[in-house]
Amino acid sequence: MNDLFAYFERDMIRWVRGRISVVSALVLPAAWLIFVGLALPTTFTEHYIDFITPGILVLTMLGASLQGGSLLIFDKILGFLNKFLALPSSRESILFGKILFITTRGLIQATVILVLALFLGASFLSLPGVILTYCILALFGVLLSAFSTTIALHLSDHDAYAAFNAMVSMPLFFTSSALMPYNVMPSWLSAIAYWNPVSYAIDAIRALQEGVLAWGRIGALLFLAVLVVAFSVWQFRKVTV
Amino acid sequence: MIPIETDGLTRYYGSLCAVDTLSLKVGNEIFGLLGPNGSGKTTTVLMLTTLLRPSRGSARVCGYDISSQAQDVRRQISYVPQDMAVDIKLTGRENVALFAKLYGISHRDDTIDRVLSMMDLSDRADDLVRTYSGGMRRRLELAQALVHEPKVLFLDEPTIGLDVAARKKIWEHIRTLKDRGMTIFVTTHYMDEADHSCDRVAILDHGSVVAVDSPSRLKSLIAKDIISARISGNVTGTVPDGLQILGQNEESEMLFSSDCGSEKVPILFRWLEEQGATVHSISFREPTLDDVFLALVSTREEARGFDDHKFRTMLRRR
Repeated sequence: MNDLFAYFERDMIRWVRGRISVVSALVLPAAWLIFVGLALPTTFTEHYIDFITPGILVLTMLGASLQGGSLLIFDKILGFLNKFLALPSSRESILFGKILFITTRGLIQATVILVLALFLGASFLSLPGVILTYCILALFGVLLSAFSTTIALHLSDHDAYAAFNAMVSMPLFFTSSALMPYNVMPSWLSAIAYWNPVSYAIDAIRALQEGVLAWGRIGALLFLAVLVVAFSVWQFRKVTV
Repeated sequence: MIPIETDGLTRYYGSLCAVDTLSLKVGNEIFGLLGPNGSGKTTTVLMLTTLLRPSRGSARVCGYDISSQAQDVRRQISYVPQDMAVDIKLTGRENVALFAKLYGISHRDDTIDRVLSMMDLSDRADDLVRTYSGGMRRRLELAQALVHEPKVLFLDEPTIGLDVAARKKIWEHIRTLKDRGMTIFVTTHYMDEADHSCDRVAILDHGSVVAVDSPSRLKSLIAKDIISARISGNVTGTVPDGLQILGQNEESEMLFSSDCGSEKVPILFRWLEEQGATVHSISFREPTLDDVFLALVSTREEARGFDDHKFRTMLRRR
């Protein structure tokens, strides 16, 4: 456990001291919320801000997690990973440290969105709803950051990782239920969107707006997270350079 | 117990044999693994530090097998790769503290102070590493490696990219560590540094060991004196008695070895002129490890074509 926090602390200090990256991490989600939430011409709802906020929350976690994979790429390129792998401490603590940092950073960004959404007139969640929203976002963050960090473990340079990130992030987002409800999607899209893990998180948060716990969606998310984390641990244990 | 022992250690990258049936015994000493870039030095270190699995053969570090007891090996060793990986946004103390935490050191603050002062970094310990020189960063890495008092320390090209004064200081520290009882396994392609500082060296060429001994014994193997001549024109005949051709060095001087250089210089001079060559300069000196290397590694790259794919594989896997 101590190893995990040592790795977490290292990434956290480096992030906070690189001021511009903190500013960027807070401005980007705000820009998404304002420009997408307020500007898109929609007809299916009066309160698009209420509808879009869960989508932007999950998008932010998605972006933060996929971008977080580059942390491991840089550790690898710069020689840190070799030093860490030669330590007697457990190798999966490298993975868990990254998951914890990336997810925490994502949740900080999500908080910016939640606060901003309230200022923009959103009125969509009770207090227990907010707490549960954080839990769902954290679960989603764990799933995606484990995925991206393990992909990074197997890629050799930053260009390759950037290519992977570009290939995965946009399709995942646009084939999800983030921007529109299922009933206004073309039928081929709604079929894809329903099975997209990004939609699991978005649908679960939207259900909370109605005061409903969507166990099916949360369960699917949990199942995937356990699967991916277990696979990632296995990969980190057996990795060689 | 033998600190490091390898038995037919072999590693392939595809069809390229990076390390070829390496069998070494390293005692409690400073052991240098020498060779040009791409000769398999780093691959050897990666296998011994459990980061890479051998294709064939085995090795034991402090009695533990590198494949089946990797975790035990990692407890006994420290590894400093050549990349100079320290966090520039952290202070020197924070960098060391990270490793102290990862090693689960008790009395952490005392240990951190101790290793920082051992490496002469106490004054600058609370400055960001961004402001450190190359030599200081390397010493900081040594401090990180020392927090758990390893039995064996692996250093991959510890002086690469450093200026002369910084190199000297690093080697002084390495010798101090050896005096405290640590075994140090160091790779370098700077023969002169190994000559001064290593107790024993192994010369590696294309993945195989061509010689293992103390630097002075290796030098006495080839000759007492080295005569180098800068000439233009071709020399084809047989050299006079008591002289051997070693080859041509990077400055394209012809190198000869002899047991009494001062007497052979005039003989060599006359012979070279008889051969029709123009002699620009001629000098003799004590042999260095560079000469040993040149004498032992006879088949040079020129004989083969340049294999771009192999070259890239080697660089990537260095």
